[in-house]
Amino acid sequence: MTCQISLDRINKYYGAYHALRDVSLQIDQGQFVALVGPSGCGKSTLLRTIAGLEGITDGTITIAGEDVTHLAPRARDLAMVFQSYALYPHMTVRRNLTYSMRLKRRTRAEIDHAVTEITRITGLEGLLERYPRELSGGQRQRVAMGRAIIRDPKAFLFDEPLSNLDAALRVHMRAEIRKLHNRLGATSVYVTHDQIEAMTMADHVVVLRAGRVEQQGAPLDLYDRPVNRFVAGFIGSPAMNFIPATVTPDGGHVSLELPGQPVLRFGGRRPAGEAVMVGLRPEHLQTGPSPDAANRLTLPVAMIERTGAQSYVVCDTVPEVMVSAPVRVEDTDEIVLGIDPAQLHLFAPDEAGLRLDI
Amino acid sequence: MLRKYGLLAIALGIVALYLFPLYWMYVTALKSGTEIFANPPTLWPHDPQIRIVEVWNRLRMDVYLRNSFLIAGGVTVIVAALGTGCAYVLARIRNRWMDAVLFAVLMMQVLPSSLMITPIFVAFNQMGLLDTPRLAVVLAQAAKVLPLYIVLVRASFLQVPRELEEAALVDGNSRIGAFISIIVPLARNGIMVSSVLIFLQSFGEYVYSRSLISERALQPATVGLQSFMGPNSSDWAGVMTYSAIYITPILIVFVLLQRKIVSGLTSGALK
Ligand SMILES: Nc1ncnc2c1ncn2[C@@H]1O[C@H](COP(=O)(O)OP(=O)(O)OP(=O)(O)O)[C@@H](O)[C@H]1O
Ligand SMILES: [Mg+2]
Repeated sequence: MTCQISLDRINKYYGAYHALRDVSLQIDQGQFVALVGPSGCGKSTLLRTIAGLEGITDGTITIAGEDVTHLAPRARDLAMVFQSYALYPHMTVRRNLTYSMRLKRRTRAEIDHAVTEITRITGLEGLLERYPRELSGGQRQRVAMGRAIIRDPKAFLFDEPLSNLDAALRVHMRAEIRKLHNRLGATSVYVTHDQIEAMTMADHVVVLRAGRVEQQGAPLDLYDRPVNRFVAGFIGSPAMNFIPATVTPDGGHVSLELPGQPVLRFGGRRPAGEAVMVGLRPEHLQTGPSPDAANRLTLPVAMIERTGAQSYVVCDTVPEVMVSAPVRVEDTDEIVLGIDPAQLHLFAPDEAGLRLDI
Repeated sequence: MLRKYGLLAIALGIVALYLFPLYWMYVTALKSGTEIFANPPTLWPHDPQIRIVEVWNRLRMDVYLRNSFLIAGGVTVIVAALGTGCAYVLARIRNRWMDAVLFAVLMMQVLPSSLMITPIFVAFNQMGLLDTPRLAVVLAQAAKVLPLYIVLVRASFLQVPRELEEAALVDGNSRIGAFISIIVPLARNGIMVSSVLIFLQSFGEYVYSRSLISERALQPATVGLQSFMGPNSSDWAGVMTYSAIYITPILIVFVLLQRKIVSGLTSGALK
């Protein structure tokens, strides 16, 4: 696989504010990459620097082997879908779709052919002569997508393209975009603050915090082996539970700072007496009929939320422990939870919260 | 209820007070010579006389109005050509320097024509611009109204979302291309209304024309009217007819564009 977009130690300042810090990223041809992170972490800024809409202070951007760091957006041959869609309000859907082709002075026949093709793909038949203000939110979104794919660019850039849609349409469009990606095989960079969107759509997920890449890799790698507490808490829903604990003298167990000081085995070795932060995903706390007899946790229950397929049990502890069970949990005062030692994560208790090898 | 009607009455009263000179102009234009000086004055002419054709021919209004149109048109073209790009830059680039520039632009607007005319006269004289006096007036007036145009048009550029321009850039357009094909069409209303305002202001320009144009055949209607109103002249009906001919087209334009002008002026302010 060839590398399509390569970012080498990108730094970006807005005045004195350091918005991107040493961001390096390799995006392969045909890969679908998601940039995730909390609001204000620099996702849009990073995407806009790739597009050339924002200059960078330091670093190199290479697209398809060409150094484009100082090139104008139009010389980079990328297509971008904006969060607000940015459809040209004074042009019909047809003229919106063909804007880039008309700029390149394509022939009438080429343009008509492309429009037919794109309307079929995006399902915009019958809407071509309408103005953007005469379309629904979902239709506008399709026009924005159509305007990008008609270009056949070197890569697609998406800045939260689904965040203005309602929940049902969002799930639908999520699948559509991914299908489209599989069909076109084009390189895509997708910004979202929704980690579920990132996990379900992307081949490669990049987690950003405060302008810095915290971790990048395949979605399930991030889920299985988060490098620090931030990534562990950000990936997965509901978020991972963190419980302060101390390693027992035998070095193979942790004693949790919960009522009754329960002890859990973690299937590895750490120095005795070390203070750690135990990470347990809500979906890994088993409420089933025969939880592992050796590794049990009995906790008081504060509240049970049932959504039908899932039950969420909130335990009455400090810090609060959340359990996500794929069964209907009966009303109860106490819940017995079984824990697989392989699904127990250990992190350093300090600010950085790095993952501790077990 | 009472309060509402009370306020309405006050508003109507003030409007009537403002519009009274306009009314008096039209009424006097229709009166006969003796009726104009009748005491007490009549509010409505007993024997209306229409003197439009006679005044038009006698005062050679075609020449004056042509000059007015030339000057106002020239000013509008220059201001729109120079001011649109400037307003756009001031709308897009935001930093401390731009704020200072904007302030300077606004300050220029404050200087009155009567103060500026002496230096302008001297400078234009030295440059030989007084040989083409209408061009001289166009330049002086354009410099005077340019700030107003910039401020008004900048407000409509501020309303065009930046992302539209960015989409055009990514779609393969240059900055200038994006400006012409996306930004200008979307700010069209503001540009049009501001241009009309500039045209109307320049149509009524007096101070520069009076000082820079000495030849009768090159003077605009405002100066023409003044020269016709000497101390011994008592042809008030003629003067008022002249004024009516001059003002009525402006009024019509204003009424037709009234809604657009109001929305064009407040757009940007209300955000
Ligand atoms: N033009 C600018 N001038 C100064 N600071 C800016 C500018 N644009 C963005 N920033 C700052 O850079 C940081 C990153 O902004 P960015 O828009 O990339 O965030 P984001 O990750 O896209 O967030 P969101 O999820 O809310 O869209 C923010 O703290 C923001 O305040
Ligand atoms: Mg953003």
